[in-house]
Amino acid sequence: MAGSFEASDGLSSRERRALETLLTRLGDDEFVLAERYTEWQVRAPSLESDLALANNAQDELGHARLWYDVLADVGLDERALAYERDPADFRHGTLVELPFETGDWADAVLRSYLYDVAEDLRLEALTASSHPKIADRVGKIRSEEKYHREHARSWLERLAEDDDGRGRLQDALDRLFPHALTLFEPAVPPRLGAKASENDVAKAAAVDADVVDLGLRTATLEELRSEWLSIVVPFLESLDLAVAVDRDAENPEADLDALLPDARGRDGAHTEAWFDLHDELTRTYRELGRTETTTIMEAPDG
Amino acid sequence: MIWEVFRQERPGEYHAHCGNVHAPDRELARQFAAIQHGRRKPTNSLWVVPRDEIGEIDAEDVAFGGTTDKSYRWATTYSTAGADASEVAESEDDQADAEQRRGES
Amino acid sequence: MNLETVRARAGPRAFSPADDLPEEYREAATRMIEFHANSEIMGAYLERPFIRQAPSIDRKLAYSAKVQDEIGHGQLLYRAAESLGVKSREEMLEDLANGDGKFLNCFHYPMESWVETPMIAFFVDGAAMRRQATLRRTSWEPYAHAMDKVCFEEGFHVKHGEDILRELMTGSRKERRLTQEAFETWWPRIIQFFGPTDDRSTHHDFAVSVGLKQRSNDELRNAFLDQYIPKARNYGLEIPDEPRIREREDGTYEVEEGDLDWDEFFTVAKNEYEPGREQIRGRRTAQEAVQWVREAIERDGAAGSHAPRAAD
Repeated sequence: MAGSFEASDGLSSRERRALETLLTRLGDDEFVLAERYTEWQVRAPSLESDLALANNAQDELGHARLWYDVLADVGLDERALAYERDPADFRHGTLVELPFETGDWADAVLRSYLYDVAEDLRLEALTASSHPKIADRVGKIRSEEKYHREHARSWLERLAEDDDGRGRLQDALDRLFPHALTLFEPAVPPRLGAKASENDVAKAAAVDADVVDLGLRTATLEELRSEWLSIVVPFLESLDLAVAVDRDAENPEADLDALLPDARGRDGAHTEAWFDLHDELTRTYRELGRTETTTIMEAPDG
Repeated sequence: MIWEVFRQERPGEYHAHCGNVHAPDRELARQFAAIQHGRRKPTNSLWVVPRDEIGEIDAEDVAFGGTTDKSYRWATTYSTAGADASEVAESEDDQADAEQRRGES
Repeated sequence: MNLETVRARAGPRAFSPADDLPEEYREAATRMIEFHANSEIMGAYLERPFIRQAPSIDRKLAYSAKVQDEIGHGQLLYRAAESLGVKSREEMLEDLANGDGKFLNCFHYPMESWVETPMIAFFVDGAAMRRQATLRRTSWEPYAHAMDKVCFEEGFHVKHGEDILRELMTGSRKERRLTQEAFETWWPRIIQFFGPTDDRSTHHDFAVSVGLKQRSNDELRNAFLDQYIPKARNYGLEIPDEPRIREREDGTYEVEEGDLDWDEFFTVAKNEYEPGREQIRGRRTAQEAVQWVREAIERDGAAGSHAPRAAD
């Protein structure tokens, strides 16, 4: 039963909740990952790689901007979404909020790879979205993501040829893989400034089922995760990296669930690092007592 | 073996691709290029480069400059008050020109 | 080519890597371009926290793009310097990290708040652009070519910096007050951007005689004041009483140089100013932390990949 998202004023509360939940998880992932990527600016291994990662950061931030903007139709603006929202109300997966240890370029390129493959799959599942703006914006985003994936793959292949490089990749993989799985976790509906409800974690799965049922996204999270595993596991193994999943196990789903970190981001539980990051990124806005965000570009069309 | 040839017409200018030559080694490639590509048009310098050593990435491989709005990168996006320094104005004009040509391609 | 010939032939874009140039020329040009390249990196390093602290997504994008461009300028300039055959890029970056590499005075000072950003992004970049525009006519062709691209891109930086200044100076009373305070702190440093008067500048005469430099420090500083004092006033900034600045009859300006703290300037220039040393150390830590990546890549390169070796 696809919902009708042609007009934003006639949305039922179920439709609105599904829309807000989907778009905050999409937008927050991009926004927070971009923020982390910018940590590499003026700190990357070479001038050329510095430029390339800065490019990807700007792309992701541009994507966050597009996703957040869809929520303008239901009265939520950048101010409310990025600068005045309670940090506990963000719905990105913890993969994107973890800080980079100084010099851990293996983390940067591996995280990028794990994320970008997941992103490509979810974008594919949004191309036929019942929401016209979502469907329209996917194309522009996907054509930028192709470069990100290829860039990450090239670096992984390059580093994995070297013993030291491969060892560092393995460390990063062991640490990041559980967090990457959070990308496929259902998100607790964000409050977005509304009065605090019971904020029921159990609702998350039901709301994600609504997202699919209403045609906002055409694949389930389980399907996306399984496709993602079928791509990243063989590729990483081809680089002689060990992935902590046994896909021939009797109950692979349960094994994967057991790997998930305690705080998953999607459930509103975050690592401490996120709160520090949020504090820093809203610092100027708060200290200058701003009540609105500056726009430089025109609002996205379509 | 094919060698790509880049010509600089006058000192200080840029070397621009102007053609290629078949040659078995760098020395002959330089000598062939001097005649084939330097005998008539004004030439100050030629670069000869083995074609196999040239990597290429094109618009099919990558969306140069991105597909989402990047107007924040362009001087033309910002309106400021009063006369700009001549070099700032020139930069802005050049950027406007580049933006327009990007739009047309 | 001997030095006499170089002097006789010196002109815009006169010399290229194909020319056999005397040591004096190559060393002077290396010193000048390396300083310029180092400044791009250290300027970007100073500004990078404000990508995160920018108060909106669009500002964050612009700031990221700006810092990215500066690193790109560093890439161009190190290459232009490297092509003189005196020092490799690796050596220059190494010297910058260990405190031997010199860079612009303004990038030695800490920057703590968003209200300071236009001091760099508008005034310092505006000053830099004044100078860079003249360097498109430098005698070292690769440097001039780098300047073509730098000048093409830099207009965005100055306009964006000006846009931030405009926003702050049309913002709340608090924003206007803080911005004026930041301006008063930064103004003397900005004027010192151009260095001391030519007769106190060690390398000036030689650089002019071989065509590396086109305009004197004084000329550039005055040209900067003529353009940017009206801009500052236009946005409601008050020019501090010191250093004293005389307005000539034709509306151009001249600064009373003795009012500036040249002891501090030379301390800064020698990398002996503590906050600047802090910046250098911070960047050094970042550079050393990714040394393993450069080593891993080089080991692979040696292991049979047919990637061509760079030949200079």
